[in-house]
Amino acid sequence: MSKNKLPVFPSKTMIHKITNLLHDGMDARTTGKFEVPPALGDARWTDELILSTWHMAATGTLPDNLNYKTGKSNGGFDRLDFKTLDEEQWLKHSEDISTSIQLNRRDDHRKKLSPAIPIYGGGMSYGSVSVNVMMARAIHAKNWNTYMSTGEGGYPEELYECRDNVITQVATGLFGVEEKSIQASPIIEFKYAQGAKPGLGGHLLASKAGEEVAKMRGSVPFVSLFSPFPFHSTYSVEDHSKHIDWVQTINPDALISVKVSTPHDVDMVAVGSYYAGAHIIHLDGGFGGTGAAPEIAKKNIAMPIELAVPKVHKFLIKEGIRENVTLIASGGIRTADDIAKAIALGANGVVLGTSDLVAMGCTRCANCEGGPSGRGCPWGLTTTDIELQEWMQQDWGVKRLDNYYTALQWRLRDILRKLGLSDVNELVGRTDLLVYTRSDGE
Amino acid sequence: MQLLNKPEENQSMIGMGEKSRLTIAEFAKESRIRADSYHRYHIDTIETKDRQALPNRFLVSVGKLGLAKLLISEVFEYWGKWDVVFARPCTYGVFSGPVGGFSPRPEKCVGCLRCTIEHPEFVTISPNPALSSLGDSYLNSTIISTIDEEAKKGTVPVRGQGYRGRFGGPGWDGMWTDMSEIVRPSRDGIHGRELISTIVDIGSKPMRLQFDADGGLVSAGPKMMSIQVPFVFDSPAKSVMTPRLAKIWKTAAEQVDTLALIPGEIVTSNNLASPSVVPIISLDSSETAGSFKNGTRMVQLDGWNPTVYSSISSSNPDLMISIRMSFEEGWQEQLNEMIDAGVSVIHFVANNHGEDGGGRFIMDLIVEAHEMLLKAGLRDKVTLLHSGGVVAADHLPKAIICGVDAVGIDLPLLVAMQARLIGDTSNREGYTAKFPRKFKDSWACQRIVNLTGSWRDQMLEILGAMGIREVRRLRGEMGRAMWCTHLEEEAFSEIEGFIGGGI
Repeated sequence: MSKNKLPVFPSKTMIHKITNLLHDGMDARTTGKFEVPPALGDARWTDELILSTWHMAATGTLPDNLNYKTGKSNGGFDRLDFKTLDEEQWLKHSEDISTSIQLNRRDDHRKKLSPAIPIYGGGMSYGSVSVNVMMARAIHAKNWNTYMSTGEGGYPEELYECRDNVITQVATGLFGVEEKSIQASPIIEFKYAQGAKPGLGGHLLASKAGEEVAKMRGSVPFVSLFSPFPFHSTYSVEDHSKHIDWVQTINPDALISVKVSTPHDVDMVAVGSYYAGAHIIHLDGGFGGTGAAPEIAKKNIAMPIELAVPKVHKFLIKEGIRENVTLIASGGIRTADDIAKAIALGANGVVLGTSDLVAMGCTRCANCEGGPSGRGCPWGLTTTDIELQEWMQQDWGVKRLDNYYTALQWRLRDILRKLGLSDVNELVGRTDLLVYTRSDGE
Repeated sequence: MQLLNKPEENQSMIGMGEKSRLTIAEFAKESRIRADSYHRYHIDTIETKDRQALPNRFLVSVGKLGLAKLLISEVFEYWGKWDVVFARPCTYGVFSGPVGGFSPRPEKCVGCLRCTIEHPEFVTISPNPALSSLGDSYLNSTIISTIDEEAKKGTVPVRGQGYRGRFGGPGWDGMWTDMSEIVRPSRDGIHGRELISTIVDIGSKPMRLQFDADGGLVSAGPKMMSIQVPFVFDSPAKSVMTPRLAKIWKTAAEQVDTLALIPGEIVTSNNLASPSVVPIISLDSSETAGSFKNGTRMVQLDGWNPTVYSSISSSNPDLMISIRMSFEEGWQEQLNEMIDAGVSVIHFVANNHGEDGGGRFIMDLIVEAHEMLLKAGLRDKVTLLHSGGVVAADHLPKAIICGVDAVGIDLPLLVAMQARLIGDTSNREGYTAKFPRKFKDSWACQRIVNLTGSWRDQMLEILGAMGIREVRRLRGEMGRAMWCTHLEEEAFSEIEGFIGGGI
């Protein structure tokens, strides 16, 4: 379609044609029927990581001939490996190996939420992604007894059918934040910062802020939205505490998650957040995904998650509060191996965002913000264009995510049993089970 | 653009001039005039088209037989639904020509890969080797593409998805900058009403003022000037620096309110002297230092000779004399000597990969120079500039964190003008540049202005994230840097096999 032609809602035949071509094409690439696309992948998400994620999302199993463990970034997770036991000491692969974690470690009256896997879905706002994508993630979270975050863009009506598995995010722009959605959520997430653009607030460029998105956000259609930074009501940790009090008054049962970036003093921030009342400290590292961010921010501001997690974990132990708070890591976690490494470095669990999108077909072309077409993602993921968003059908997305998490859980159990552990919680902070390699993990 | 330190600028306070007492009405009127004449510093960027476009990012290959077969089969499958038959798998217009995929338009390809995933049998998208082979190991094709975009649009490059590169890395990539979750320089955004200053001072500030018994000032005041951005335009290789290029440097520097460093002979022969031009003069031609008129504020001596320095500084007391020196063996002693001699502006120069003769990276060298001056208690008496190895927007704040006041840039300006660099680009004199065949000076100037606007805005992003309100306060703020080697040591030292030392 020419970019000068106005998008129209596609016919059923058109949707059938395009989605079939896309699905068949992805399968054909992952099965080796056709060569690996030469322009696919980069150092962090290599071609093999993308294709193996597609394979897992299609089949629910790990690929045989693709590296599904590490990228080629020359550091961090890509330099770490596990000190597995000798084969005779491995536990039997079994569903009895527990992958469930506890999100509320405080001794309070609030819900004891225990997702079946140490993973939940990171915030991707309505506007940055389509309702189809949001719903696919929400239904998948319900299927897996885990959670997904709305991101900063409001709570579309459709999400209420999954209300027990949807986290309401309260971010600095307060876009779409309503009493109703706060009351509906089991977890309220305060987003202080985002790893991909620490200190800068959210960006939703004009071309993606269409009528529906603007209505949800209480803004003017097709005007770029830049969330302020930081919260205008927060000048200190005491102000942060007031935020939490405010939300807890509206929803006394909800757990409180505080999402922060990874500056020098992230350990102090974590302690402050705990004493302000947070149940979950969510660290978002510098290599995380985004719908739009200045390139200079992605690489240069704040530290990668691999370096922040042990720093915070150790400090929380030193302060004597590690057992009372859940530490969640995100921002550059791509594989089951990354998840296990993050936990071994000190996290209780992780949040995935980009991986979900890759499972649903993302090639990481980086045109989420609109690209030269101004319409957003040509795969129908990070767009609200009425035509493009139909290329990612909700039911298909749910299946892909369910399959992908099946494979992730399988691999996570595989790692645990090879380390002689029967519960993922036993892995927390076990850096003695890691080894630093001088090659990229292969 | 606002040009500071203009002699004609009236700096007096309202009511403190010749007419010392104003009526309320006069005061209000005068205040209004002053307020209305306030000009907030801003770089006017204008999208400026390519004159010698970079090679396309991707090559698009479509098998015509495969495409024809597909069309025929779809004609039968979707008979009558022509919009479905002719739907093209690209939202960017690669197949938008009259014959669609039979004559694709690779210049429009952004690498989403939807076409090759949908039609793996006959569509292939590959990275274009003509683009990836541009530049060298330091000023690589990614940086060149980024500069090209910055110079074209004058905006901060914004993309979706996350970081795509290596974890840490050598040189500047081994440093991350800090941010604050709460502290902000302003409450209405980095481009809001409150100004985040990128002004830097060039010259010497007196460490204290001295007064006589009657309260009269007896010590000299500050001998310095301010520029609006923490970078100056340095002179590229001699084989590249022509009078035409020098004029472009000068015009762009005047627009941005920074300095253009231009060989003295070109300044003289082309009458380019100006407050924004700093003639570079060799030790052999130091007698020309006083010959530059038209408001020249500073000259730069290319090398150090205490006798020459003493001679020209005493014969040109109103002129700032800066010294250009390389990080060669014994530079520390030379630095001490210059400080003792009263040099107030020192311009270090490394090769274009940011290394000294021994391969040591400038980050460490700058830190060493800065700390030497700090220990001697003389840091504010001296301005440190540095050129060489600053080729991307993130290098700028990182160099300042290491301790320089401002940096010199040259290669990025050439790239902004879409010049192709040929030869050994690591060597400051080892390359030549092939410029677009036809271009106007105004086009080149605007491309440079756009680049500076983009870099300044990116500087504001970094300062905003840190909660720092002016770039002068960033100088030497190593507490706001996070070093990959240190953080890895802290995070991984207990892990078997970790030996540290960076990657």
